[in-house]
Amino acid sequence: MTAIADSASGEPRARGSFYFRYMVEPYLYLSPAIILIALVMLVPLAIGISYAFQSVNLLRPFQSGWVGLENFQTLWNDRKFWLALTNTFWWTLGSITFQFFLGLGLALLLNTQFYGKRLVQALVFLPWAVPTFLSALTWAWLFNPTIGPLPHWLAALGILSEPFNILGDPNLAMWGPITANVWFGIPFFAITLLAALQSIPGELYEAAEIDGASSWQMFTKITLPFLAPMIAITVMLRTIWIANFADLIFVMTGGGPANSTQILSTYIFTTAFRKLDFGYASAIAVALLGLLLIYAVILLVLRRKLVKI
Amino acid sequence: MARIELHNIAKAYGSVEVMRDINLTIEDGEFIVLVGPSGCGKSTLLRMIAGLEPITDGDFRIDGARMNEIPPRDRDMAMVFQSYALYPHMDVSRNMGFSLEIRKAQKEERGRKVAEAAQTLGLASLTERLPRALSGGQRQRVAMGRAIVRDPSAFLFDEPLSNLDAALRVEMRLEIARLHQRLNATMIYVTHDQVEALTLADRIVVLNAGDIQQVGTPLDLYERPSNKFVAQFIGSPTMNILGVVQSEGGVKLKDGTVLNVGSETGQRQAHELGVRPEHLDVVAEEAAHMRGVAELVEHLGSDTNIHAKIPGVGPVLVRQHGHFPMKTGDAVNIAVDLEKAHLFGPDGVRLAA
Repeated sequence: MTAIADSASGEPRARGSFYFRYMVEPYLYLSPAIILIALVMLVPLAIGISYAFQSVNLLRPFQSGWVGLENFQTLWNDRKFWLALTNTFWWTLGSITFQFFLGLGLALLLNTQFYGKRLVQALVFLPWAVPTFLSALTWAWLFNPTIGPLPHWLAALGILSEPFNILGDPNLAMWGPITANVWFGIPFFAITLLAALQSIPGELYEAAEIDGASSWQMFTKITLPFLAPMIAITVMLRTIWIANFADLIFVMTGGGPANSTQILSTYIFTTAFRKLDFGYASAIAVALLGLLLIYAVILLVLRRKLVKI
Repeated sequence: MARIELHNIAKAYGSVEVMRDINLTIEDGEFIVLVGPSGCGKSTLLRMIAGLEPITDGDFRIDGARMNEIPPRDRDMAMVFQSYALYPHMDVSRNMGFSLEIRKAQKEERGRKVAEAAQTLGLASLTERLPRALSGGQRQRVAMGRAIVRDPSAFLFDEPLSNLDAALRVEMRLEIARLHQRLNATMIYVTHDQVEALTLADRIVVLNAGDIQQVGTPLDLYERPSNKFVAQFIGSPTMNILGVVQSEGGVKLKDGTVLNVGSETGQRQAHELGVRPEHLDVVAEEAAHMRGVAELVEHLGSDTNIHAKIPGVGPVLVRQHGHFPMKTGDAVNIAVDLEKAHLFGPDGVRLAA
């Protein structure tokens, strides 16, 4: 009884500070995390975006200041931007398609039982562990006919008329970084999809087998619906990473020849750190950010509509 | 409709043989229950029949045709799994109609059959729910519905009721019995619960350590168990087993009492006496075969279980019908129903009596 009386007598004081208790106090406890996140994420983001509306050029330090949408006007009329955007599209689409389907195939293979599975599983992970810079250099050398075997093999297969370096051909150069990126990105899909595959209860396949399903029907009616959430989230993440992924292209082709492998992220990098025009680079980055946000929203809506688990 | 024959079926995992020389014929329309303790191989046997587990050796036939190498989808059997194995991304009606969907049956036919099954199982109002929105009993019904819709030649049940609570289990047991009456299909049912076995089965197959111990009707198993294992496995509470030696005019208990049973044991020596708690009776002292003290008395209402300790013989459980006025520590005098006692040889085999 005394306990109840005590809390009752404490009630008016608490009601008096209702505003503090429910509106302020929770945020007080959250504030260390909020401040940290704001400092390392939001503040740089805001500053970066604000550059897009300023003239920040280290070569013209006295002309800095707010310029409104001038950077975006330049962007709209920049032929190189549209070229880079097209290249980004093909670079992302090519990479993600091959990475996904090969990764899925590999995951399905790794989900079966065979001798030496653990070793193979470890080896599959290896490309992921190699530093990007190193793999880019290696692939650039592999495509070089003087030291690499690839052009000779491609010529022998009749794909190339003669062994030349495809990285030097504006029509073919993009395939170089895409190949390297596919090699680099397969493990990610293989490992994440393998984890999803292994979480499917084996009994469902047994039930389906008894219900009369063929292997293909089991794949389309059980495996795919179970993988769908993982597929949606990994494809989205990888698309965003690949669209922003400049290292391979920068090392292998530097955006050349004749800007044929210039994607938005390499263009941003060159604009910012070669031309030292941070304002314009920021404007390109904001455009890329906007496009990727739209893409992510579309994918998330699709995911909600299609995925039932 | 199917007559299922197992001839010398064997199962080995690598070099470990878990099952050998299983012979069993299941008649068309029969309800067979495979029962045994965990690890006895009953589920493995069922999975071999379903085709989910390869048969190492022997001959498995359905209606005379060898089926060993036929994949599950061509065996025309439906199976209800212990965990139900419902497809979590499909609603109830799609779960039930999945086999028809696979066989590309007409949409109207599919809808009609699913609706029919849902009606009989009381699922009609739930057809659009996903399995995760169902209770355990409802999931169990959906799993059964999935089997019914297929209209298979045989139903396989792998401990279908073990995940349900006691009340629901009794209800679903009745439903399965009704289902068998209505469809008159061959059913093979695996359980470790002897009550399910005794209530559902036309014939029970008792398995232990990969061997068939006995095949028979529930009453056969209860009245004429072929060995000590079956005798102790079937019946609740468990049969009392008392050590005896063969002697003039019957068998002699360890305390020297001679019981007049087993005149027809032939050449073989009785080693143990088995008598069910319900075949023991508390009597007046002069009519008793055994005299001891009640160590624990359980009043169950319908029955009274008396755990008695008999000096020189050991613990004995007596079941008295109804409420029996006895309490712990009371003296207890027990008479054995000699007609219903069993004798077992040293190898555990029941001696003809």
